[in-house]
Amino acid sequence: MSEHTLPPLMEAHNVTVRFGGLVAVDAVSANFAPGELVGIIGPNGAGKTTFFNAISGVTAPTSGRLVAGGHNLTGRGPHRFAAHGVARTFQTPRVFPDMPVVANIEFGLKFAGRRPRKYIFWGEERDVPWVLRDASSILSLIGLSAQAELPAAAITPSQQRLLEIGMALATRPKLLLLDEVAAGLTEAEIEDMARLIRRLRDELDLTVIWIEHAVTTLLRHVERVIVLHQGRKIADDTPANVVRNPEVIEAYLGDEMAESADMDMEVAP
Amino acid sequence: MTSRQLLIRDVLVLLAFAGWSLALPAYASEFVVSMALTCLMYVALSSSWGLFCGSTRYLSLATSAFFGIGAYSTALLLGDFGWVETILMGSAAAALVAVVMGAAVLHLRGTYFAVLTFGMTELIMHAVTYFEKSVTGTVGRVLTVVPERDTIYLTVLALAVLSVAVSIVVRRTRFGLALMGIGADEQRAQTLGVNTRWIKIAGFAITAAFAGAVGAAMAVRWTYIDPHTVFNPFIGFQTVLITLIGGVLTLWGPLLAAVIFSVLAESLRLQFPQIYLMSLGLLLIVCVLYLPGGLASLRWETFKGWWYDTRDWAKDIQRDLTGENEREKQRIKRREKESHFV
Repeated sequence: MSEHTLPPLMEAHNVTVRFGGLVAVDAVSANFAPGELVGIIGPNGAGKTTFFNAISGVTAPTSGRLVAGGHNLTGRGPHRFAAHGVARTFQTPRVFPDMPVVANIEFGLKFAGRRPRKYIFWGEERDVPWVLRDASSILSLIGLSAQAELPAAAITPSQQRLLEIGMALATRPKLLLLDEVAAGLTEAEIEDMARLIRRLRDELDLTVIWIEHAVTTLLRHVERVIVLHQGRKIADDTPANVVRNPEVIEAYLGDEMAESADMDMEVAP
Repeated sequence: MTSRQLLIRDVLVLLAFAGWSLALPAYASEFVVSMALTCLMYVALSSSWGLFCGSTRYLSLATSAFFGIGAYSTALLLGDFGWVETILMGSAAAALVAVVMGAAVLHLRGTYFAVLTFGMTELIMHAVTYFEKSVTGTVGRVLTVVPERDTIYLTVLALAVLSVAVSIVVRRTRFGLALMGIGADEQRAQTLGVNTRWIKIAGFAITAAFAGAVGAAMAVRWTYIDPHTVFNPFIGFQTVLITLIGGVLTLWGPLLAAVIFSVLAESLRLQFPQIYLMSLGLLLIVCVLYLPGGLASLRWETFKGWWYDTRDWAKDIQRDLTGENEREKQRIKRREKESHFV
């Protein structure tokens, strides 16, 4: 693992989420440093989305501690997480269907992404990238400028996924959580999506955490992978090392990892 | 139309409506004025209800609770305080109850919220009855000091205009946008930075403040006030029906429906009370099935669409009766069979 000098953007300490008798996330700890592109993988029901829900405030963890940018946000609502620069997308696109595409973007800009009141007359925060300063530039970043005036229900599902990302970007985040944004897309669309995600990381200096069910796609694009299995973290390493990890191979036995094992050569430097 | 043109249109319509209602008592008969008063009461109740419940889709049946609280505070305070102070206090009391009630039940959604607000209304009514019985010894109060008819009329008119004006303003603010976001997808709105808890409580309190003020003003219409009259759940139901039929998301729908309803109510209730309630139910069913956006969403295209649908439906029946559908099916079958040989 690479060394990071900057303090982590998000620290999760022993986060546990329990639903009745079921332990969906079991004492997972992870730190996410500024500028990282991290993938989370795991078989079905491994607790990936539940972990996301916990670190975005949607589900309060049963125990554990969440610190975002030095602020302890354990047990706070999602709007507090959003205010501290944590933005997310949902597995099934959850756009506001009756509002035009541009209004969907503006929603985030008017709440979590609002300019602080001290800049009401002049000035700007220094650390907010130019691209995130208004709806039209966000729209051109995600490539939906032509659809700006259409109601969000009228655009295609893959465009809705892009819109979801745009809505999350409109909150001017530091940490972007992407939940299966490439699911159901064609090969070419997945490549475009991966390119967009890398651009967000490289040009906007965002930290991106990316959950994907299709392991091969993800491993090609991220620098660090966290593997969840039955709610526990079983690996946290570079893609090349993760695919050789015996525990990971066992968890995935007979699953997609079988084909990823062939990919071993490709990933290894 | 641009947003600015829409604003100008809305304000002009509101001014025209207010001016006309203002002039009404000068020339109309006693009966018409009393009908207009009912109209205005339901305009205020339903547009303030739509302001919160319409955009957030939290169906509240507690309107009668707030109405009753307002009416009771008039019964207790009028005489010791002036007319305006009494109404303000009634409205504040209702808003206060809404904040407490909202903190308790606003995390629930859908049917649970509706049933709980209804339950809370009953609870408040019985609590007031119990209090009256055990503390003051009598159930019900007689109002001795009653203001002029015109004062009541002007007050309710002001409340109606104010509630529409507040709806116009709220639609254009971040607060209104947050309410819309909660209605569309509450969790998504939260993750985009909306503090939904406070927004909901504030919206609920605004609705309650209007219902309380209307209750306080309308209380003097009855000279005798008891819990079962002023906490009448029918007021709450009717407000919901009016708003749904008029169009929950529209600005003018509740107003339109309130006028239609009050006219129906006053003209039918005395002679044919069953027909009034039946027409209420029928109108609701028709609106839910064929006009989900409410009366205010009626356009020329809606009628055209209905006409085409009916025509196609009639054509289909005709083809069925003449056996044309059957022949068509056989023709297709034959063609398929023949195509195998090619």
